[in-house]
Amino acid sequence: MAFVIVATIIVIGTVLWNAVSPWWFTPLASNWGFLDTTIIISLWVCGVAFVAVSGFIIYCVIKFRYKEGHKAQYQPENTKLEVILTVVTTIGVVVLLAPGLIAWNMYIQLPDDALEVEGVGQQWVWTYRFPGEDGIYGNTNGRLFSSKNTFGIDPNDPNGQDDILIRSAEVHLPINEKVVFQLRSKDVLHDFYIPQFRAKMDLVPGQQSNLWFEPTLLGTYEVACAEYCGTGHYAMRGLITVDTREDFDAWLAEQPTFFETLNEGVEGQGKQIAQTLGCVACHSDDGVNGIGPTWKNTFGTERLLDTGETVVIDEAYIKESIVNPVAKIGSGYAPVMPAYATLSEEEIDAITDYIKTLSD
Amino acid sequence: MEQGANYEGQPIHEPTGWWSRYVFSQDHKIIALQYISVALAIGLTGMFLSLMMRMQLGFPGLFESIDAGSYYQDVTMHGMIMVIYLLTALFLGGFGNYLIPLMLGSRDMAFPFVNMLSFWVYFLSVIILVSSFFVESGPTGAGWTLYPPQSILEGTPGGDGAGIILMLASLAVFIIAFTMGGLNYITTVLQSRAKGMTLMRMPLIIWCIFLATFLGLLAFPALLVGAIMLIFDRVLETSFFMPEIFKGGEVLDYGGGSPVLFQHLFWFFGHPEVYIIALPAFGIISELISCHARKNIFGYNMMVWALIAIAGIAFIVWAHHMYVAGMNPYLGFFFATTTLIIAIPTAIKVYNWVITLWDANIKMTVPMLYCLAFLITFLIGGLTGLFLGNVAVDVPLSDTYFVVGHFHMVMAVSPVLALYGGLYHWYPSVTGRMLDDTLGQIHFWITFVGTYLIYFPMHYIGFLGVPRRYYSNDQYDFIPQSVNDLNQFITICALIVGAAQFILLYNFVVSLYKGKEAGPNPWGACTLEWQALESPPGHGNWGEKLPVVYRWPYDYGLPGATADFVPQNVPDEQIT
Amino acid sequence: MTNITNNEERFMGLTHGQVFVYTLMTVISILFLFITNAYLFRMNFEDWNPVPIPSMLWVNTGSLVLASVGMAWAKSGAKRSSVQTIKVGLIIGGLFAVTFVTGQTLAWQELTSSGYFLTINPANTFFYLITALHAMHVIGGVAAWFYVTLKTFKRDQLILQPESIGLLGSYWHYMLLVWVLLFMLLLTT
Repeated sequence: MAFVIVATIIVIGTVLWNAVSPWWFTPLASNWGFLDTTIIISLWVCGVAFVAVSGFIIYCVIKFRYKEGHKAQYQPENTKLEVILTVVTTIGVVVLLAPGLIAWNMYIQLPDDALEVEGVGQQWVWTYRFPGEDGIYGNTNGRLFSSKNTFGIDPNDPNGQDDILIRSAEVHLPINEKVVFQLRSKDVLHDFYIPQFRAKMDLVPGQQSNLWFEPTLLGTYEVACAEYCGTGHYAMRGLITVDTREDFDAWLAEQPTFFETLNEGVEGQGKQIAQTLGCVACHSDDGVNGIGPTWKNTFGTERLLDTGETVVIDEAYIKESIVNPVAKIGSGYAPVMPAYATLSEEEIDAITDYIKTLSD
Repeated sequence: MEQGANYEGQPIHEPTGWWSRYVFSQDHKIIALQYISVALAIGLTGMFLSLMMRMQLGFPGLFESIDAGSYYQDVTMHGMIMVIYLLTALFLGGFGNYLIPLMLGSRDMAFPFVNMLSFWVYFLSVIILVSSFFVESGPTGAGWTLYPPQSILEGTPGGDGAGIILMLASLAVFIIAFTMGGLNYITTVLQSRAKGMTLMRMPLIIWCIFLATFLGLLAFPALLVGAIMLIFDRVLETSFFMPEIFKGGEVLDYGGGSPVLFQHLFWFFGHPEVYIIALPAFGIISELISCHARKNIFGYNMMVWALIAIAGIAFIVWAHHMYVAGMNPYLGFFFATTTLIIAIPTAIKVYNWVITLWDANIKMTVPMLYCLAFLITFLIGGLTGLFLGNVAVDVPLSDTYFVVGHFHMVMAVSPVLALYGGLYHWYPSVTGRMLDDTLGQIHFWITFVGTYLIYFPMHYIGFLGVPRRYYSNDQYDFIPQSVNDLNQFITICALIVGAAQFILLYNFVVSLYKGKEAGPNPWGACTLEWQALESPPGHGNWGEKLPVVYRWPYDYGLPGATADFVPQNVPDEQIT
Repeated sequence: MTNITNNEERFMGLTHGQVFVYTLMTVISILFLFITNAYLFRMNFEDWNPVPIPSMLWVNTGSLVLASVGMAWAKSGAKRSSVQTIKVGLIIGGLFAVTFVTGQTLAWQELTSSGYFLTINPANTFFYLITALHAMHVIGGVAAWFYVTLKTFKRDQLILQPESIGLLGSYWHYMLLVWVLLFMLLLTT
């Protein structure tokens, strides 16, 4: 009898939960409401199947409990019943599949008249590129990446000179305009996922994948990486701000073009370098320790190492930790930082200067 | 070729001493127990890892030793251990070895020596796996899917150390062990059936194990190829899967490869793997539900054809794991359709189980409780699979906690419930004693209700969009505090369920000495393993003469018989 | 097999050994199918640079054909219970299989000495990987051959041998078939 009670509670609870669950879809902010509809259809069809089958089980357990001397009905086959059940199931499957395929067809048909943005992932930051005035991206090549040219754009390609580079985690988009994201990755797999937009697509190094949507609600939304990409996966957060067209244009005009970034001096660019190399994914500037220790108010202080020794955080220690991170690991941190052995002296100095400015 | 051991009139390989009887034994029953013990031991490790993971999610910062790196190592090793080294090994190596010869009425496996070798090679693969915990940068933390490029690069725990190499090597060794065992199961099922045991008279669990083995034999080579190529990429720096990569401020030596190629190879193995685990669980349920409901299984023929259909279609659904992986999006139409088609034979199996309950004579024994619980969790897990298989519906849900909830329901909770049901059911056959019923009930209720409370709410934080494989949710504004509270609740449930598993272990040990004497056929089952002369069956299983089979294995409640069951080896004229 | 009794159900009249070896061949076929698939997938990428086929491979193909012929001879001997034919056939089959494997290592040397190292291009890596995997399966066969041959020469009575020799022969023909298909793949791409 215990089973009947518990199973009944579970079945009723499972169904009612859908009405009372404190966790439900985030408020929709894009054109992909149809995807929510397909989920709701699935919930109804599957809910009916679940209640029917488990209700049948519970009924049988109540009705056909063991009675000494009673014998079960002997019925090895019942072709008619089996055919009916197969047909009913097939209908259920079609009801689920049809809207699913229609929605998928919409999802993968890229619009022609859309705003184009390139999303570039790397461990563990997001950056973006707009094609600029000419509307054409400059050619990129995986071999051209450097700490200076973090998008791997061919410097000799005239189309690339006016490309607008967004070297921070936040990108703006105009409201009610279709956007196509061309996605690529510098290192490993990532996944560009904005819960409120419902859209999601993997970034695969060495190839391009596409994603499109139309933001329908002003506001700032979080980009979460949804494909495991190493130790800092959970910290790979980006932001999308949906603006009016005017605000968007104003914002875009402030962003540097590729040509401008090529001619930037290194000095004073420590923050920018830390941003584009992805340092900031692990080392915060606000005093909160992440995968790695924060940079806030650390310069000149002492750090306890995992060996039990302490070390003063000075220029030499910072340099060593960039070039050969595993040499001295801070206590409580995992030795996961890659070695940045190819940075130039000037770049390391710029980062060091930046860290110094974070100490007051 | 090693000669088959089960010929009438020929002496079977009689063990001569303690070593050949219990360690390097060629007796399928001992080998089964060896498989079960090693699998349960490594499975306990896997459970411990999952609890570590839960501690971090429920009570972040409570254990300082769980940093992001070790969290991901726990996630990875938990997944790999549970899927491959626990469930695959236990269902096929354990249940397969024990049940195939006994249920088919043969003396042993077709090639006992190869069978023994299979276990020891499996043992070696476990040793290699465990050794990765003790190398410098620890085991791999690449996620159980081991996707390159991250799996073999620094930035992933164990990626630049020996961890990933040991993982891949262990898998390769496991595949060799599986192939040796698998060839044996196939040969035994096809060749060593007792007289009268036609294919369509085989118990459904044998069909299930047979087809699962077949799936494994055809699917594991894909993983082997992937693993070998990945080892090449890692050790020799070739570029099978590795494109141009910019990392640590420099361009690496790799170039031109395709990470998606690995995903195809992995999931060509990975999806059938789901059925390698699910089919034996289906089999156990089919046996148990018929026996404990004292009623013939409904629609045997349909069940067999449904199984064959599932096994066949299982090979053309793999890319439903890759809808948003950057493959050609038009493939989505094909794979969504095949995936939803596979739901039809699966649903037929569920219908046939529940119809078996209709007008039955249901004994609420512990194995029956597990069956009923399996039906409910499998329903949930199967139905949520329809969401994820349906390409567009998958887009918002993939890589969220909905996926975690779904696959744990369908390929963790359900198979484990079936597994436990099977252990309670066949323990008397192995030891001659019954497991304690009260302990069994307590263990059942905690496990069933506990796991439901753990995994059911996960679907809803999946709707919310919480991504899986997150060490911490703190940074995200769209994830409310209530998710952390829920995580705390789930962790507490997980700790209770984890602790409850020791009730089973305790029950195992105590019942070995103090359990009620089972007698030859305590459940009144029709299948042959309960009809041996000795209980538990001795070496060679059947004494002088092999059994002869006269009927299908589900003659429960046969009209005209006094008893409510007629064993398979009873001819019509002996029915009283 | 001489002492099969009617007490067991069998599948299509096959022996245990036949089921085992045929299933094994299926599994091996799948393995090579996947590696071939991966090869065809990967070769579409632009960095693919085909390897020149070492001339040695033609010689090796010849050895494998001869090995297969030797085994066919042994099989026919087993049918006629001619111990002498079996012995000669087995020796030819085995020796040429060993020659084949040795020849393959020479082919690798030929490649490396002209600068086609394993890591330079995915085509190179695939070439080494595919040939090595195939050679490993031939070596596995040679181990079984060793066992059977030893038994044959130890006692001149052929109690178990006809089936073993038959299966060994099938495996040899199968390895030749796999090689020819792989060789064609390497030649044409």
